Amino acid sequence: MEQFLGGLQILAQWQNFLIIPLGLAIGIVVGAIPGLTSDLGIILCIPLTYGMDPTMAILMLLAIYCGGTYGGSITAILINTPGTSANAATLFDGYPMTVKGKAFKALQMALFASTIGGLISAFALLFLAPLIAKITLLFGPAEYFALAVFGLSVIAGVSNNSIFKGLIGACIGLFMATIGVDSISGTARFIFGQRKLMAGIDLIIALIGLFAISEILMKSKYDPKTDHKTISASAITKDKITKDEYRRCRKPIALGSLIGVIIGATPGTGGGLAAFIAYNQTKQASKHPETFGHGEIEGVAASESANNGACGATMIPMLTLGVPGDGATAILMGAFMLHGMVPGPTLFAEQGNVLYAIMIGLIVVNIFMYIIGNVFTRFYAHITRIPYEILAPIVLTFCIAGSYSTNNRVYDIYIILIFGIVSYFLRRMDFQLVPILLGIVLGPLAEKNFRRAMVISEGSFKIFFTRPISCAFIVIAVASVLIFAWKNYKSNKLAKENAAK
Amino acid sequence: MKIKYNSEIISGAIFSIVGAILWVLIPTQIKTMEKSAINAQTLPKIAIGGMFIFAVGLLLEGIFAREKKELVVTKESFRSVGFKKEMRSILYALFLVAYCFMVQPLGFVVSTVILVLAIMLYYGARKWYYYAIPLAMVGIVYYVFRVMLHVSLP
Repeated sequence: MEQFLGGLQILAQWQNFLIIPLGLAIGIVVGAIPGLTSDLGIILCIPLTYGMDPTMAILMLLAIYCGGTYGGSITAILINTPGTSANAATLFDGYPMTVKGKAFKALQMALFASTIGGLISAFALLFLAPLIAKITLLFGPAEYFALAVFGLSVIAGVSNNSIFKGLIGACIGLFMATIGVDSISGTARFIFGQRKLMAGIDLIIALIGLFAISEILMKSKYDPKTDHKTISASAITKDKITKDEYRRCRKPIALGSLIGVIIGATPGTGGGLAAFIAYNQTKQASKHPETFGHGEIEGVAASESANNGACGATMIPMLTLGVPGDGATAILMGAFMLHGMVPGPTLFAEQGNVLYAIMIGLIVVNIFMYIIGNVFTRFYAHITRIPYEILAPIVLTFCIAGSYSTNNRVYDIYIILIFGIVSYFLRRMDFQLVPILLGIVLGPLAEKNFRRAMVISEGSFKIFFTRPISCAFIVIAVASVLIFAWKNYKSNKLAKENAAK
Repeated sequence: MKIKYNSEIISGAIFSIVGAILWVLIPTQIKTMEKSAINAQTLPKIAIGGMFIFAVGLLLEGIFAREKKELVVTKESFRSVGFKKEMRSILYALFLVAYCFMVQPLGFVVSTVILVLAIMLYYGARKWYYYAIPLAMVGIVYYVFRVMLHVSLP
């Protein structure tokens, strides 16, 4: 209770109420522009938060995350292109509603459902995270190591259809995490005679290179004449949602929010999967499933409540266990670390007040999102008109300035370029970048605690299997990799059979 | 010339080689004085060894279990739309490499303005305000970082 009140006191500072709308506006715009994602928005804004206090900085980044997840629905509805992968399910009914001249209604429902989903998720975070954190205080080095292994097993869920590619990605990340001076023995590792590499590779530099520069290179094939889709502002008529439609959408929103929270709290999943499951469940439970896919407002409500419902919930494993739930939370975890907060079991004990301020702030973020979204719905058509040829150099300028500002050295610009080109190649080869990021983030945690546990156990591996929590994490990690590998095998086999037919 | 390939074969082969090279480099790149079995070389060995083993697995998966694309390399291939698009991507990457060489001697503003102009021309932007917005943004970013965040850009 004391920490809760302390959190409220920190949150009550007026600067927070300015930074939240700013973050939301950036998030909504970034999410609404095809080609830019909330992940990218967070990465580009991290350097701008260096001078801020941790609460303010994290609230801004969280606002970008939530705003971006909602903003992605705008392009899904208006131009049949989801702004982020989390909004892919919104396409099914969102765009057909636009075709029918109900774009305004679809946008309003997306906002309403996103807000409700986001609020439920924020409350889940506020009440569940402290409970889990209390249990995690019992952790020692063996449990921490097992936790990191469990976190790395998330790669199985985010590796698309090739577990090998995910595992190679994680190994690349682990390797990158070892570059620099080893914190335990002081030995230099893989610095290739470059003294500038002694401190290792900064997380923000890796993030900019991996995600932002590779995205810019991926878009180098963009053709302004054929790839730029827009909608005229006059197409958004002011056709409001009726009371009957609100009543019909109550169940899909409740179901979507619940699915969003459960899926979001499961590491390795994320909002995109939650939205698809919620859409499917709503369709199956509906009395008129045939209308889904043809502009059914319930479809928009289910998918949007689910993807925003996952936003706060993905923070539960990240804050309590130090295991990021998806790509965006892995980036947010990096931001926490840059601001001196290491997510994991001890965070609640060490910085409980700040954490409560952030968790309560997430509720405020969702309320502000509804207000801002309502005011600016009419302007969304204009956002979609921004041509990519203008955006690309702007994003690049931010990347360069952001990477330089991290350590005040040109060397980091070279590093982001190398990372960008390598990750561009990896993406062309159908690799996912999240396993690399997980390797970078969880590598040091795994190594430090593995070595400590081995000292305690005098070199015996038994310590990881004789302690119940550690053993449970390792068993769950192995099981989840096997389950995902089996699922991949089955889906590949099915795809082959379909192709043969 | 006919080539049968898929992304698994290409990436599997590349990372097998990279993994093998890095493994050979471990003793010279990590000169540890520790005498225990678990030392500064342990995690790099796990990461690099894992990379090699999984890359071999990926290569075998690509050869035996995945469908392959067939690429027929002729003189015409070098004139195809796909090849031209690839060349454009390489050109884009070269802009970024050139920027790295420019930024130190020319400074942030001049080198970034050149880069922005190159990208706008690359995309074939014709309207003047298409150029004006990103160029103005270079100035704004410089101001924000230099004045507001007290970061001295190069």
